[in-house]
Parts: sequence; C-alpha cells; structure tokens
Amino acid sequence: MSAANVAAAPVGPMPAERARRITRRRLTGLIGHAYVWLVLIVFVLPFLTLLGYSVSGPGGTYAVQNFQYVLGSFGDNLWWSFRVSGLTLVINVLVALPAAYAIVRYPFPGKRLLFSALTLPLYVPGAVIGISLVLVYNFSYHLTTSIWGLVLAMAVGTFPLMLTPIVVALRDLPVSFEEAAACLGATRWQTYWRVVFPLIGPGVSAGLMLTFIIVFNEYLVTLFVHPPSVTTGPLRVFNLVRTAGLAPTTAALAVTMQVISFAAVLLFFRVFGTRYLKGTYLI
Amino acid sequence: MAAELRSLPLVAIAPEVRRRERNRRLIGLGLVAPAALLVVGFLYYPLAFIVQMSFTLGSSYLSQAGPDYSTANYAAMASRYLPNVFITLQLAALSTVVNLVFGFPFAYVLVRRIRYRDVVRAFMVFPMFGALYIAFGMRFILLPGGPATPLLQALGIPSTAVLYSLPSVVFAMSVFTFPFMVMNIGAALSNVDPTLEEAAACLGARPWQTFRRVLLPLTRSGVIAGILMVFGWNIGTFAEPILLGSLNEQRALAWTLYQRGVVQTDYGLSSAMSVVLLVIAFVVSYFSLRYSRGALVE
Repeated sequence: MSAANVAAAPVGPMPAERARRITRRRLTGLIGHAYVWLVLIVFVLPFLTLLGYSVSGPGGTYAVQNFQYVLGSFGDNLWWSFRVSGLTLVINVLVALPAAYAIVRYPFPGKRLLFSALTLPLYVPGAVIGISLVLVYNFSYHLTTSIWGLVLAMAVGTFPLMLTPIVVALRDLPVSFEEAAACLGATRWQTYWRVVFPLIGPGVSAGLMLTFIIVFNEYLVTLFVHPPSVTTGPLRVFNLVRTAGLAPTTAALAVTMQVISFAAVLLFFRVFGTRYLKGTYLI
Repeated sequence: MAAELRSLPLVAIAPEVRRRERNRRLIGLGLVAPAALLVVGFLYYPLAFIVQMSFTLGSSYLSQAGPDYSTANYAAMASRYLPNVFITLQLAALSTVVNLVFGFPFAYVLVRRIRYRDVVRAFMVFPMFGALYIAFGMRFILLPGGPATPLLQALGIPSTAVLYSLPSVVFAMSVFTFPFMVMNIGAALSNVDPTLEEAAACLGARPWQTFRRVLLPLTRSGVIAGILMVFGWNIGTFAEPILLGSLNEQRALAWTLYQRGVVQTDYGLSSAMSVVLLVIAFVVSYFSLRYSRGALVE
C-alpha cells in the first residue's frame, strides 16, 4: 500500500507515513532474523537434547562416566570410524585429483557425459548402493570380510564430493600459471607439485572436509557392507537405538561423533573460509 | 623441438600437431581412468548386477539348478508392494514441500539481510551429519518422559501419537535436507540483482507480486534444482521411518529392501525394489544435472 501511495505522490511521503514505513521495515527485518535463528535452533535441537541426555546419570545427576564409556566400550567403534574415513580420504584424493585435472585441462571425447557419470553416485540412494554392493561382494568380488570392501563403498559414494570442489578450484586457476612455470624451466611434476597443488589446496581441503564428515557419520551403506568384525561408530548408534532402546551412553557416542565432525568443519571454516565450498552443496 | 617446428612450413608440422593432440587426449583419458574404474567397478557394475538379479526368484541365483528367471518380483511390486512405493513417494514429496515453503524465506533472509552468513552456515552443517542423529534426537525428545512430554501433556496429546506418526517422520526428513534446498535457492537468489526488487516496488508491486512476478521467475532454476535434489535424497529415507514412523511409514522402500534382502535373503524382490528406487533417482538426477551441475563442465 505504501508503494502505491509513493507512486501517487511523487513529492515524497509525509513524515508520519515515513516513520511508519521505517518501523515496518525494522519489524520485517527483525522477523527475518528471528525466523533464521528459530530454524537454526531447530537444527541443533536434536544435538542439544542428546547432549543434555548424554550427561545425565541414572538418578538425573551429572555423569562424565558416559563419556568414559564412549572411550572405553565404544572406543573400538570410534577407532574403526577414523580408520575407514582415513582410508577413504586417501583413495578419494588419489582418484579425484588426476580426474579433476583431466576434466579441466585435457580435451577428450564425452567429457560432459563422463562428469555426469562420475557425479551420479550422489543421487543414488544409500540403500541401493548398499544392497547392490553387498550382493556383488558376496557373489562376484568376495570382499565381504575385508575392510577394503567397506572403504571402496564409502569412496564411491563420496567421490563426487571430492571431485567437485577440486574441479571448481582448478577452473578458477588460470592456465597461465602452469605455462609460466613451464617457460621458466619447471618439469611437469615440478609444475604440478610446486604451482598447481598449493594453489588448489583449499579446494582439495574442501573435498577432504566434506568426505570426512560424510564418511565419519555414514551408517546406511555401512549397515549393508560392513565386514562382521567391523562396527563403526554411527552403525553402533543405529544398532543400539533400534534394538536396545535409548541409553545415555548411546547419546554420548552420538554427541562425540557430531562434536568431532563439527570440529573438522569449524577448523576448515577458520583456515579457508566458505569460499571454496561453492559448487558443493554447502556453498 | 618447438623452434625447429616453427621454421617448418605448416603442412610439414600438421602431423606432429595432430600427434600431440592425440597424445593429450590419451593422457586425459589415462588420468580419468582410475576414477572411471572406481565408479564402474563399484557403482555401475553392481547396479547392472541387481537389475539382472531383480529378474530372478528369491535367492535362486545361488541355487545349483541355476537362476530361476521371472518377472514375478515386478508383479509383486505393482500389487503387494505398491503401498510401499506410494508411502516412499509421499514422504519425499511432503518433506520437499515443507522444505520449499520454509526454505525460500530462509534463503532470502540469508542472502539479502544477514551479514554473519558464516555463522549460519556453520549451524547449517549439523543436519548434514546424518539423518540418524536427527531421528535419534527427535525420538528422545518425543518419547514418553522426554523433554517434550510436559508440553504434550498440557496440550492433551499422548506422546506415542506424535512419536510414531507421519508428521514426525516428515519433520525429521525436512530437517535433514533443508540445507540442500536453501543452498540451491540461495545460489540462484544471490545472482538476482537487488535493484530489480526495488524497481518492482517503485513500480507499485506489492511484496507478494514482487515475489510472484520477479523473484520466482528469476530463481526458477535454483528452486527446481533444490526441489529435485531434496526429493532425490529423501527417496532413500531409512533411519527416520524406522525410528519415528508408525507401521505405515516403516514400509518405506529403503527399509523394506533391507529387510527382504539382507534379513530374509529374498535377493530377487529386494533387487526389484532397488531398481524401482534407482529409476526414480535416475529420473530425478537427470533433470537435476540439467538444471544445476551441467554448467560446471563446459
């Protein structure tokens, strides 16, 4: 209504009208901020209540024992989570770096199709990846008892998360840097290690961070393909919540996993900022 | 080498240039090969395998007599398991709608009004840690004796009516995928010049008209990409229906295929369910790639 009034009276609104408009604008601004914070609180509410639950003892007392239990009885699960994430990160970097470089710098036929084919794992539901891999592991690869089956399953699911930030970072890096290095007498490897890699480092780190937080918390594909001897942290949480009901110790494990993941994210934000996450789904 | 070539006539260096072009192409293919092998070996071959498996009965693929081929699994999908397909689509669609309704204003405020965007982003990471923790947290909140009990008692609603219900599943799924919706819409919104909105207001458009006639058309691709991404992710919902759903929601396909396939070893039926999920996911991702990611390659 105010906009229509302004159009009708181009001389400018009267002071009272203007004051009202300013209050209204402040009010909508306030509502906007309040809305965003409300949503953010809803986001962290499951985490916060679990945190509260995890420090509650049998008699409603503060209990650090729950977290001691995490390091003791669940320590093995945490350790497996770290090992699987670490191995997946190594494989992902080794595979994604050359692929991203080729996609950005080299000409070859069917590039667009290939890129789509490489990013498709993101869109395949976890349960489908899980069932297809567990059947293939059983009937043709014979990988069911090896941790590599689990690691490769993780790698294929998170590979696009590694690839995309590296492709974005490489695309932002002008070829002239490499050409200059070559003109100054650097060999191909020197160019790669001393010029290209440091400059796309933040992109690679973005991929590492995304892969880590996804693999570290992955329970679904793990549920299908984990070797009998391996139970990762999130899988333990899932099994306990599903079968044993709720316990403060389970909450403590879930909280520990989330805190570790969040620490990784904060570390990344602190060191590199959010700029290098564009193109991935965190922006 | 390069100097020698430059002194030669063009016709003479043409084969050399062509050879180098071909070499570059080969090197490119070589660099991509590990990635292609990983994806073919651990995604596309297994998917082809379950497509074949979905045409065999039960666990007959393993039997001495050889696999028993039939289309009975798909017949079962179209009759007995049709409600499972339906509830899966329903859950994904509902949570997509919730995300769209709550996500657009959120993205708008985030892009246009907020300066402390990194703080918001850090908070928005929490849902990405997985649907499992969200479902676990909500289950704890809603369980009888949990934090929400006094509120529910005051309203006169029994805890279990809220805990094991469609809305709680949809809510958990929406929280899980909300960041994807916001990021897709936000990316599109940040490409829209704010002066366009001011111009619309100057021309007498009301806020709703500005949204309907200016903002929405300009962010259409982002909105569609967000819808597709959220829908595609929620098709495979797993932890939320089991931990928060009633028997109806627990029929969601991903969970059913786990039960039939891994627990009851009915590989054929389980594969058929996967293929149905897969087809939905492929259709969604095809359009999604067309709307968002394709731009990254060219």
